[in-house]
Amino acid sequence: MTQETQIVAALDAEGLSLKSVSLWNITLRRLRRRKSAMIGLAILGVLVLIALTAQWLAPYDPYAPLIGVEDVRVREAPCIHLFGCPQSKPQHILGIDGNVRDQFSRLLYGARLSLMIGFSTVTFAIAIGTVLGALSGYLGGWVDNVIMRLMDVLLAFPSLLLAIAIVTVLGPGLINALLAIGIVSIPAYARVVRASVLSVREMDYVSASRALGGSMTQILFRRVLPNALTPLIVQGTLGIATAILDAAALSFLGLGAQPPTPEWGSMLGAERNQVFTAPHLVFFPGVAIALTVLAFNLLGDGLRDALDPRLAHIS
Amino acid sequence: MNRKLFAVLSVFVLASLILAACGSGFGKQPAAIEIEGLEEADFAPVKYEAPNCDYGGEFKSMEAVDETTVRFTLCVPDPAFPSKIAFTAFAVQPKEYLQMTGATGDILEKPIGTGPYYVAQWERGNQLVFKRYEGYWGEPAKSETLVFRWGSESAQRLLELQSGTVDGIDNPAPDDFAVIEADSNLQLKPRPALNIFYIGMNNTYPPFDNEKVRQAIAMGIDRQRIVDNFYPAGSEVASHFTPCAIPNGCVGDPWYEFDPAKAKQLLAEAGFPDGFKTKLFYRDVVRGYLPQVSNVAQDIQAQLKANLNIDAEIEVQESGTFLDNADSGKLDGLHLLGWGADYPDQTNFLDYHFGAGASKQFGNKFDDITSNLAQAAQLASDADREPFYIAANNAIRTHVPMIPVAHGGSGTAFKASVTGAHASPLGNEFFAVMEVPGQDTFVWMQNAEPISLFCADETDGESLRACEQVTQSLLGYEIAGTAVEPVLAESYEASDDLTVWTFKLREGVTFHNGFTLDAADVVESLVLQWDAAHPLHKGNTGAFSYWSGLFGTFLNAPAE
Repeated sequence: MTQETQIVAALDAEGLSLKSVSLWNITLRRLRRRKSAMIGLAILGVLVLIALTAQWLAPYDPYAPLIGVEDVRVREAPCIHLFGCPQSKPQHILGIDGNVRDQFSRLLYGARLSLMIGFSTVTFAIAIGTVLGALSGYLGGWVDNVIMRLMDVLLAFPSLLLAIAIVTVLGPGLINALLAIGIVSIPAYARVVRASVLSVREMDYVSASRALGGSMTQILFRRVLPNALTPLIVQGTLGIATAILDAAALSFLGLGAQPPTPEWGSMLGAERNQVFTAPHLVFFPGVAIALTVLAFNLLGDGLRDALDPRLAHIS
Repeated sequence: MNRKLFAVLSVFVLASLILAACGSGFGKQPAAIEIEGLEEADFAPVKYEAPNCDYGGEFKSMEAVDETTVRFTLCVPDPAFPSKIAFTAFAVQPKEYLQMTGATGDILEKPIGTGPYYVAQWERGNQLVFKRYEGYWGEPAKSETLVFRWGSESAQRLLELQSGTVDGIDNPAPDDFAVIEADSNLQLKPRPALNIFYIGMNNTYPPFDNEKVRQAIAMGIDRQRIVDNFYPAGSEVASHFTPCAIPNGCVGDPWYEFDPAKAKQLLAEAGFPDGFKTKLFYRDVVRGYLPQVSNVAQDIQAQLKANLNIDAEIEVQESGTFLDNADSGKLDGLHLLGWGADYPDQTNFLDYHFGAGASKQFGNKFDDITSNLAQAAQLASDADREPFYIAANNAIRTHVPMIPVAHGGSGTAFKASVTGAHASPLGNEFFAVMEVPGQDTFVWMQNAEPISLFCADETDGESLRACEQVTQSLLGYEIAGTAVEPVLAESYEASDDLTVWTFKLREGVTFHNGFTLDAADVVESLVLQWDAAHPLHKGNTGAFSYWSGLFGTFLNAPAE
C-alpha cells in the first residue's frame, strides 16, 4: 500500500477526502449516513423505476375493461396464484376495479402520473418563485415590498382551499390542477430564495464582482443564486410531497385528473363508497400515495440535515 | 290607571277562558301548529276561468261549487287527469295561509297540510323533524316522531343503518345489496325499475345531425354489458324508452340489437369510417336510474372507442349546470341522463321528452313522433291509444333522438325490526305506516336535504318525499304502488268526453293548524300555479315546472 492510499484510507475513515471535495460529494456522503434518508431514496428509486417501465411491468392495459376478455367480475378481490388462488383464474394481484380493469396495472401507471405531477408543479413553482424571490431580495425597496406582499396574500389562504378555488375558475382537469398547485406553492420558494439572496448579496465575493463591474443579471445568476440554492433543494424535495398530496386531494374531489386517467387520488375517490365491500380498491392507492409522500419527506429531511453546515458533525 | 289595567286584564282572562272552553267543548283536536294572526275565513264559492283555450294550456276553468265540491273543466280530454292531479306538487294548503305568506317565504319551510305528520322543526343542514298530527283524518301515524336526515355517500348511509343510528336508508350502493341481504339485522326492499337511463344526443350539432351516426351509436353500444356489470339486481335492459310496467310502455319494435359490425358500416356510410372526436357529459349524481355514474360513463367511453373508434372525452358538470345545459340544448356531445316516473302514464315519459312541448334537449322534434303522441294523449282507453304509441315508439327507434339503456333497479333498506317497511316505485315512501316496535321515533336517511317544502314549486325527489308526509292532494298513489286512490277527495267523476272532472271532498278533514278543508282551499292551491299573473304565483323559484310539464302553458304566461 502506497503512502497516498494509506492517507486516503485514513481520510476516508474520517469522512474526508484528499481530492477536491465538492458540496455534492459532501452532501451525498452525509446523506448516506442517514438511514431514514436512504430508505426514502430507495423507495423513490423504485418508484422512478416503476414510472419509467410501467408499460413493460403492467400486465394489462390500464384503460381497457376486461369485460368479455377474461372471466372476472366488477371489483373482484385480488387473485394471486402463489397464495392459493386457483390456477384456472387469471391472476390480478391487486384485484379488479369498478370498471373491470386490472388495479395493479392502473396503480403502476399512477406512479408515472404522480411523479410527473410532483416534479412538474415544483419545477414550475421553483422557476417562478426563484425569479420573484431573487429580484425581491437583490433589488429590495418597493420591488421587494410589492412582491413580498403579493406572496403574503397568497400565503394567507390555506393552500388546498386556494387550489380548489383556482381549479373551480379554470375548470376541472389535470393540467389546471397542476397549474393551481404550482401557483399556490410559489410563495414558499420565493421567500426561501429571498432570504438566501439577502444573506449572500452582502458577501465579499459579491461585492468584488460588483466592483469589477459585473452586470446585475451576471451577479444574480452567476454569483448570488448558485450560493443560495441549498435551502431551495430541501424545500423543493419536501414540496414535491405536498404537491403530490394536493393533486391527489383535488383528484379525489373530482377536480383533478378526469376518468379514466389512472391517478391515485381519483382511483381512491371513485371507489370511496365501496370501502367495506371492496377495500382493496381504496387501500392500495392510499398506500401508494402514503409511500410516495413518505419517501419525499424522508429524503427532504435527510437533505436538510446534510446540507446544513451547522449539523455537519452530527450524525 | 290601575283600575284600567285591571279591567283590561280581566277582559283578557275572561276571553281566554271562554275561548278555551269553546275549544274543548266542541271536542275539537288541539291544533298542532299555531300561526299568529291567521283567522279562518268562511267558505264562499269561487270560480276562475280562462277567457278561451287559445293560451295553450289544458285548463279551461276551476271552480269551488260548494264546500265539498270542486269542478275542473279542461280544454282537451285528458284520460290521465286523475294520475296527474294526484301528484305531490298539487297538494292543498289553507287558502288563508297561502295568502298570508304570499306563497313564498315562511311556507317554504313550514307547510300546513292535512297529512299524518306536521313539520315540527327544520334544522337546515342537519335534520328535519316531523311530529304525528293527532287530528289526522285517516289512520294515525305509527311513530310519534319522524326524523329525516341525509348523506350523499352510500357508504355513510349504510354505516349509519348498521350502527343503528337510523332506521331506514334510501339507495344503498349496488354492491351493498348483497351485504344487506346477508345481514339478519337488516331488510332490503327493492324498488321496481319505473325509470329510464338514456344516452342523449342533440341533433342540431354535427355529426349527430346525421341519422345514420345516431343509429350507428345505438347499435354500437352493448347495453346488456352495462346492466350486467353496473346495475343491481332488478334492473333490465331497456327495450323501449318507457318501462313495460306502464300501460302501452313497450309497444312497437324493441330497440336495436348490439351489432358492432353493422354499426361500423353505418358510421362509414355516414362519412366517418375512422370515427370522430366528441365529448361525453354527465353529472356526478347517483339516481335510481344511474347508480354508478362514473363507472357507466367510463364503460360507454371504452365501448365507443373499441366498437366505433369514437374518442369521447369525459366532462363532468355540476348537477344544476348540467340540467340547464341539457334542457337548453347546449350539450354538443353525448350526455348521460335519465327520468323517473312521476305518475304512471306514457305521457309522463314520451310527451315530456319528445312531445311538441318538450325541451331542446334532443334538438329538433320529429313530426311523426309529436303527432302520434298528441293524438294518443287525448284518447281514454289504453286499447285506443295503443296504435299511436306503437307508431311513436317505432319513430323514436328510427330517428334515435337518444339511446335508451336501462331501467335501473334501486331500493331502500331498513332495520329488520321495522314494520311496514316498503319502497315506492315513484320514490314516495310513506312513513306513517312504519315503526320500530317500542320506539317512538323513526329516523330515515336519504341522499340529500330537501330544497324547500313548498312542493308546488319543487321537482327534486328528496323534497317531494318530505312533502308527501305532510301535505296531500285530492287523490294519491297507493302505498308502495302506482294505482291512484282517493285521498282528500272521497270520490270523483268525469263527463263522458273527459273534459269536466268533479271531485267530492272528504268531510271533517282538518289542516295542521285546525282549519277545516273546503273546496276553496283546493282551488286557491291550484290557481296560484295555473295563473302566472296571480299574486301568489311566487313559490321558491317561481318556475312551477310540474304544472307546466303536466298541464302545458300557464294562464297569462309572460311573453318570451
